[in-house]
Amino acid sequence: MVEELGNREDSFERELREQLRARSAPAGFAERVMARVSERRRPRPLWQPAWRWAAIAAVIVVTVLGGVEHDRQQRIAGERARQQVILALHITGTTLRQVQEKVHMQANSENNQ
Amino acid sequence: MDAAAQTFRDLLERHQARVFSIAFRILGDGGAAEEVAQDVFLELYRNLNRLESDEHVAAWLRRVTCHRATDALRRRAARGDAAAEEYQDGMGLRTVVRDFMPLMNRVEQLLLTLPPAQRSVMLLRYQEDLEPEDIAIELEMPLATVRSHLQRALKLLREKANRTLKEYSRG
Repeated sequence: MVEELGNREDSFERELREQLRARSAPAGFAERVMARVSERRRPRPLWQPAWRWAAIAAVIVVTVLGGVEHDRQQRIAGERARQQVILALHITGTTLRQVQEKVHMQANSENNQ
Repeated sequence: MDAAAQTFRDLLERHQARVFSIAFRILGDGGAAEEVAQDVFLELYRNLNRLESDEHVAAWLRRVTCHRATDALRRRAARGDAAAEEYQDGMGLRTVVRDFMPLMNRVEQLLLTLPPAQRSVMLLRYQEDLEPEDIAIELEMPLATVRSHLQRALKLLREKANRTLKEYSRG
């Protein structure tokens, strides 16, 4: 880098510009960039990790929701069964009282004869 | 190839030297520079519809490349990369020259001894021929800061260049 007194600044800056001209990109650089662009444009197959994890998450959600619904249905069925037992007992109780009253009335009638 | 891909390919071929050079001269490493340069062009592809002209594209590329390359340099320093530590510790010129001489010319080697912010400013001035006002806009830096970086960087580079000349002539 030869510098002359009085021209030092100019020649130094000229050399900077000379040596800092843009250098070529490595061979094949454009092709590698285009390959990555094409890769991004291609739709992802289902077995790609991102899709696989999404599928697993969907299965977990469906299983949990399914379990919650099953519990709800069981509770409803249980309540229905309980109501039916109560009704059955009520009917039985009513019928028994009616039978007892008839028997009592018959017994009174026989005694009076 | 469709029209959008062809437009992008044209821009890529027109600007790849500029982008790679900026990245290489900030990072001092060809592999890392190519990685940054590829990422810059992928980001260009995603943002193409926002850019209005070739000048706009060139300005966008310069700004994004400087930022990404500087970020990569910081991450490398944070990982404790030995080569990056050399720059930050301000070790002697000879060490830097020995490591990268096969790949870089003398000015590129001197540039690596500057702090990253000064490197970016110097590249936009002497590689890209931008005026300080335009550098301030592209790097989103105050004009006074740009001028200060240029002044300090030139002073440092002159001193190092003179020292090297004396060492070579002695030696």
